[in-house]
Amino acid sequence: MRPLVTPTPLTRAWLILLLLSGASALIAALVAQSFAPAALGAVILFLAWMKSRVILSWYLGLRQAPAWRAGFNWVLALYCLILLGLYLIPALGS
Amino acid sequence: MPGQGPPDTGHPLEDLPGELLIWVLIVSELLVFGAGLAAFLGVRITDPQGFADAQDHLHRTGAALNTVVLVTSGYLAARALHLRQSARRGAARWHLVLAMALGAVFLIIKGIEFIDKAAQGIGVETHPFFMFYYLLTGFHAAHVLAGIVILGLVAIWDDAHNIETGAAFWHMVDLVWVLLFPVIYLLA
Repeated sequence: MRPLVTPTPLTRAWLILLLLSGASALIAALVAQSFAPAALGAVILFLAWMKSRVILSWYLGLRQAPAWRAGFNWVLALYCLILLGLYLIPALGS
Repeated sequence: MPGQGPPDTGHPLEDLPGELLIWVLIVSELLVFGAGLAAFLGVRITDPQGFADAQDHLHRTGAALNTVVLVTSGYLAARALHLRQSARRGAARWHLVLAMALGAVFLIIKGIEFIDKAAQGIGVETHPFFMFYYLLTGFHAAHVLAGIVILGLVAIWDDAHNIETGAAFWHMVDLVWVLLFPVIYLLA
């Protein structure tokens, strides 16, 4: 069996996730104030994509399988773009 | 890809870390929750203001806190595998127990949120937003509960292979949440 984790990079990945989660919390406060919702939507989904990348690479060990990691990252990026498109449709129609 | 990159050493599926079946499960769950979130934003197109008003009833900071709880729990589960592979069996078990405890914290925060909504008279029929909210976050919470049980089982039968599979399930729950949280709680 191939090892999934090594301690130092794993801890770094966790800290990155905490930072990204903190950024999400900050965004949550801005959302509550209705500050530039379209731009915030893009930032929110970008942060979600970044978090999913870290989890796939370092928690789930896809850093050891670069082709699979790239595939997951591209599909999730495309999916987040679809979500962003769905989110922006009402704003485009008004 | 043929003719490119390093020499082929086997089937591409063998490059995936851990069990193939857990990856089938991860992809399946991502597809299910992914379809649910896309449907949520699709229905939102018909009533964006109603969805924004409904979302204001959610406790965004509590959900953000739950993100920290879950990614920290995932970190502990990942560390448990490393510790077990280093033959530090007791430490690995403690990490799994702590990961389970944080999973319980997640469920308590989620439970408080549900109770608060119920106290406000908000149910699945209040608005389509809340139908998706209860369906998607409730289904995810059920996965968290299942994950806690699985982590408990692999803490008992604690060979590295079992811990790897149990932790992978837990990371899948984590992965779903980091996509679910922003769409349901933040995209107003």
